[in-house]
Amino acid sequence: MPVTRRFELLEKLVPLLQDELVVSNIGFPSQELYFLGDSKRHFYMLGSMGMASSIGLGMSLGTHRRVLVIDGDGSVLMNLGTLSTIANFGPANYILLIVDNGAYGSTGDQPTHTSGKTDLAAMARGAGVSSVIEAGLEDIASALEHARQNNGPHVIVIRVAPGSPALNPIPLSPVYIRDRFIRESKRL
Amino acid sequence: MLSVSQRLLESLKQHGADFFVTVPCKLSAELVRLISEDKEVIHVAPTREEEGVGICAGVYLSGKMPVMVIQNSGIGNSANALAALTQLYQLPLLLVCTHRGSPGERIGAQVPMGIAVKGILDALEIPHFSFNNHSQAEQVGGLVAYTQVAQRPVAALLGFDFWREGV
Repeated sequence: MPVTRRFELLEKLVPLLQDELVVSNIGFPSQELYFLGDSKRHFYMLGSMGMASSIGLGMSLGTHRRVLVIDGDGSVLMNLGTLSTIANFGPANYILLIVDNGAYGSTGDQPTHTSGKTDLAAMARGAGVSSVIEAGLEDIASALEHARQNNGPHVIVIRVAPGSPALNPIPLSPVYIRDRFIRESKRL
Repeated sequence: MLSVSQRLLESLKQHGADFFVTVPCKLSAELVRLISEDKEVIHVAPTREEEGVGICAGVYLSGKMPVMVIQNSGIGNSANALAALTQLYQLPLLLVCTHRGSPGERIGAQVPMGIAVKGILDALEIPHFSFNNHSQAEQVGGLVAYTQVAQRPVAALLGFDFWREGV
């Protein structure tokens, strides 16, 4: 079992981000991303569990910018059809990073099915995603670079340990997040 | 003479719709086929309407104007995303719904959701408008402008007679 949590993964990931538009999942993932470094390129999803991968898919079809979704196992399991829609309609500039901690982290680390018998990388392949990258925490830089250099859609699955630091809710209003993001997404 | 589906798609596009998410219905079969063949618009077919609501949010955030073509049952499938995403962030989205389970329906199983859909839309504070004549295709297209002015989702419920030519 991995001993490092999503927070330590995001600590490694945030300095690697370039011009990607980023969608972050509801709850702790968005709070951790905001804490590690706010950006006008970030869309913090505050509600609608399960929708992060779909929001990012819509963005990647609406812009030529590269889109990175930071999602979780519980959320992907709540919207499993997304994997087949990504496989069939996902464009080259789409990257779905599933940070799989085997738990519903924001509600108290109750186990998800990936703590049991379920393998999300295998499900992504079964859905028809041709680029599925299973990586360890140490490989995040090379996995991201591979996704940048090759045509997607890409699904990256990284197993981490459950658990999160105690952080505050994001102090930005939804409409502020919306307007700031739209200005940025139209920039290029 | 253009069909109601041809006039509806043309009107939606004229009002700025350039991205279509569709979940099939027998009534909208021609419209969905026309969308899938139209090179001027982007078309995505998700597995479920809730997924479509997420896709449409991303589409608007990246600068395009989305329309979802679904059955009214899809409003039930996507209620949480419509409230906690589209309404929360005040995102325009036109929901073009075939109104199954309304008068003209032949399948009894469609009726409960046909009756419930307006109450669900009311509870979600989504303005909705019913259309029951094919001559109203251009009015449905005009809702693309309204959803952008309103900065919230807007629904059109298209009854059986809307899809029947010459009524």
